[in-house]
Amino acid sequence: MSKVTENPRGNCVLGGINAVLGAIDRACPIFHAGPGCCMQTSAGESGQAGGKTPFFVSSVSIPSSNMLEKEVVFGGENKLRSTIQGTIEVIDAKAYFVLTGCTAGIIGDDIVSVVDEFRAKGHPIYAIETPGFAGNSDYGYETVFKVFLDQIVEKGRPKQKNLVNLLGIIPNHDPFWSGNFEELTRILNKLGLEVNTFFTQHQGMDEIKNSGAAALNIIVNPWLLKDAAEQYEAEFAVPSLRIEGLPIGATDTTDFIRQIAAALDLDTVRVEAVIAEEEEEYVYNYLETAIGALSWKRFAIVGDSNMAIGLTRYLANDYSFTPLLTIITEPMFREEDKERIKNRLTSLEYAKPPQVLFESDQYHIAKALAENEEITLLIGSTNEREIGLQKDIQCSVISFPITDRLIFNRTYAGYRGSLTLTEDLYDNL
Amino acid sequence: MGEIYSGIRESRPHTFNDLGDTSQNLEQDFNKGCLKKADRSFAQGLQCQQINSMAALMSLDDAVFIAHSPQGCIGCTTMATDVFRVGQAHRGVKLIKNPRIIVSNIDQNDVVFGGEKKLQEAITYAGERYDPKLIFIFTSCASGIIGDDVDAVIRDLQQTNKALLIPIHCEGFKSKVCASGFDAAFISITKYILNKEKIEKIPNLINLFAPTTVSYKDQLEIERMLATLGVEANYIPFYSSLEKIKKIPAAVASTSICKVFADEFMQELADVYDIPFSHTVMPIGVRNTDKWFRGIAKIVGKASEAEAIIEQEHARVLPEIEKIRKRLQGKKVFICGGTGRSFAAAALLEDFGMELVGLETPTYDVDAQLDIEYLNGIHKNFVVDIANMQPFEQINLVKRLKPDVFIGVPTWAARLGIPTTHVLDMKRPTMGYDGILYLGNKIADQVDNPGFNVKLAKHARLPYRESWYTENPFKYIEG
Repeated sequence: MSKVTENPRGNCVLGGINAVLGAIDRACPIFHAGPGCCMQTSAGESGQAGGKTPFFVSSVSIPSSNMLEKEVVFGGENKLRSTIQGTIEVIDAKAYFVLTGCTAGIIGDDIVSVVDEFRAKGHPIYAIETPGFAGNSDYGYETVFKVFLDQIVEKGRPKQKNLVNLLGIIPNHDPFWSGNFEELTRILNKLGLEVNTFFTQHQGMDEIKNSGAAALNIIVNPWLLKDAAEQYEAEFAVPSLRIEGLPIGATDTTDFIRQIAAALDLDTVRVEAVIAEEEEEYVYNYLETAIGALSWKRFAIVGDSNMAIGLTRYLANDYSFTPLLTIITEPMFREEDKERIKNRLTSLEYAKPPQVLFESDQYHIAKALAENEEITLLIGSTNEREIGLQKDIQCSVISFPITDRLIFNRTYAGYRGSLTLTEDLYDNL
Repeated sequence: MGEIYSGIRESRPHTFNDLGDTSQNLEQDFNKGCLKKADRSFAQGLQCQQINSMAALMSLDDAVFIAHSPQGCIGCTTMATDVFRVGQAHRGVKLIKNPRIIVSNIDQNDVVFGGEKKLQEAITYAGERYDPKLIFIFTSCASGIIGDDVDAVIRDLQQTNKALLIPIHCEGFKSKVCASGFDAAFISITKYILNKEKIEKIPNLINLFAPTTVSYKDQLEIERMLATLGVEANYIPFYSSLEKIKKIPAAVASTSICKVFADEFMQELADVYDIPFSHTVMPIGVRNTDKWFRGIAKIVGKASEAEAIIEQEHARVLPEIEKIRKRLQGKKVFICGGTGRSFAAAALLEDFGMELVGLETPTYDVDAQLDIEYLNGIHKNFVVDIANMQPFEQINLVKRLKPDVFIGVPTWAARLGIPTTHVLDMKRPTMGYDGILYLGNKIADQVDNPGFNVKLAKHARLPYRESWYTENPFKYIEG
């Protein structure tokens, strides 16, 4: 059930689905929805995720049935049919996905039947029947994987023992998604692995179809894709390894590598060589050239669990800053997920654990930050600038929504990303 | 307005939203009454009216904005929020605030059982948290279709609420024209704030209506121009407040910066409060700026003073414009923009001696006809696409017409290697006499140095089939 929320960090399920599809090479969503949904969902997701938009179709270039009063009253299936027909004639996509807005969902248009007519003619088109009001964008991300697994991933592909699916990073929602995929892919390639991300390096439908051939799903997220993991295992015999939070910095990235190496039984000599090269010769090679460049900070983090875990652990474990408060902003409903996240945030090496809150409402987030007078560094979204100004402390904008930075492929993940993060936290004040 | 006008722009006579033809044909067909209502059997996404309703009000002081909707319907507030934050920075505000936006978050359960309880909850939170003077409640497709009685909830809660509760009925499915959302906002301001109450007039005060898309530099330029007439502007509703809205009836005249913003509302003010108004054009380009300025000057009885000022301004800017004209003379232009901006930008071309080859704008009506008549007098036959964006038609036309310059949202035309300039710049100057120079130099610099777009075109990908470019761009308009 959705709660009344001030400044929610994310869009509806339609927005989540659209954001993910926007990252698949030449995939075209078709909205069976009200007239503003294409713009609202694009602005609400990629539009707040660092300033770049999907290149193929996005916002007002997405085909839409733009349901008006007539369709609300008489049904919109004919409008949908002509919209799909036009889309196929005009847009040169590798796959088409028909999405359901609130209007179509409430009046009960039979989208699947209309889509089936076009499937029967041989068009690569898929129906997604989850209407906008069914949940938030995280649920949209999971819904897309359900569609992949039910309709697209092919059975019976020969297993490839060096192929992995890298999952859990949400495209066009995580502002650093491109860079995060790039850095983690770079590391996995060094271990001799081939990586399906589905969303980078022009990957798309072919990689999704072939993902059942992978030896392992690496889910870099503390809680999402639980059902998808089970379905991959049950139907495609692909086991999953959950990485409980984005690895940032030497400690967690090395741990990330070792977990994967154990799961895939990789050659230890090669693995240790990679770790030594990255950790000793790269990360610390730089860190020791700027010792003491950043002054001591007591920090608070506001963000989604994946990023918040990565940031909290890097700054506490590897950079010796003092964690005070970490606020997890995405709504989640399973207690076990909250426990896992809390555990990851509080099992630190030397530092005392921070207070951990699960809070999605901007008023309560700002209030919790206002009440803690010890904070000297605030890492959050563009929404946190206000409380940062009020408290007159350093405020770094690193989590969704971000509307005052442009981010192509910057990353704070992995080994290289931790150096970028450290650079960006330098303030010279 | 109010009782007579529903707030739905399609309901106004002689209004067309799906059309494509040459400018000469359109002018004649409109005069002969031959234009037909049509629709697109295939279209890309539109902007809904709820986006405009929210954007119009989101910079108001002491206000909370509630969307009675699922979480997705506040997606576009991110743009208004950004402009609000940047606008504060431009105005020298040190402690920059977020707008307070609460979404009732209609979900599966509410679709079945109704979402009124969550709306009540949202209104309660708004009052408790911020003790605001105004709480706006925006409806959505979902709240409209499930039939939540928003007005009844508000009537109930108003009795115990300190804040003024104002519903804005802006369900997206009610209109194809996003400007309807502006009207929905003003209808509610009329009904819930002004209430036909008369107050004492303030001599020299005029209402200056401006949407969020007007930059602070533009506001300053317009206020500077008005100050030369000795009038003071009540700038509404961007960065204004309940007090400033209540002052609206005290004005001696009204005008608007945007042609489709507050036009119906100004008529209402004339009918109820005898406030004369000037509804001319958007002050972009010399001709339009003169026209806009003369319009308001006449109403406040300063017509002759205005002429002297215009002469001074011309003496100042025309030599500079001449320099820009030398760089742009004869260039072919394609323009895409909102109703106000597109025609204003088209008028700008005269200043620089450029030739209009294509114009894309959302609505054709009596006002548009006046603009087209004027443009037909200057340019040869150009193509007009009456479309709310529809980039697939735009790119087809741009490929055919091969303009030297594209003015509008640059996302698609830039990938064809054409120099592009955005005319809807919410953070930088566009308007008045100063704006012309800024805009002209911006266009000319892009034309002189098109390297980025030229190189981009060699690598960029557009989503359309090659076959689409050989088709009639208006193929899907069926009437």
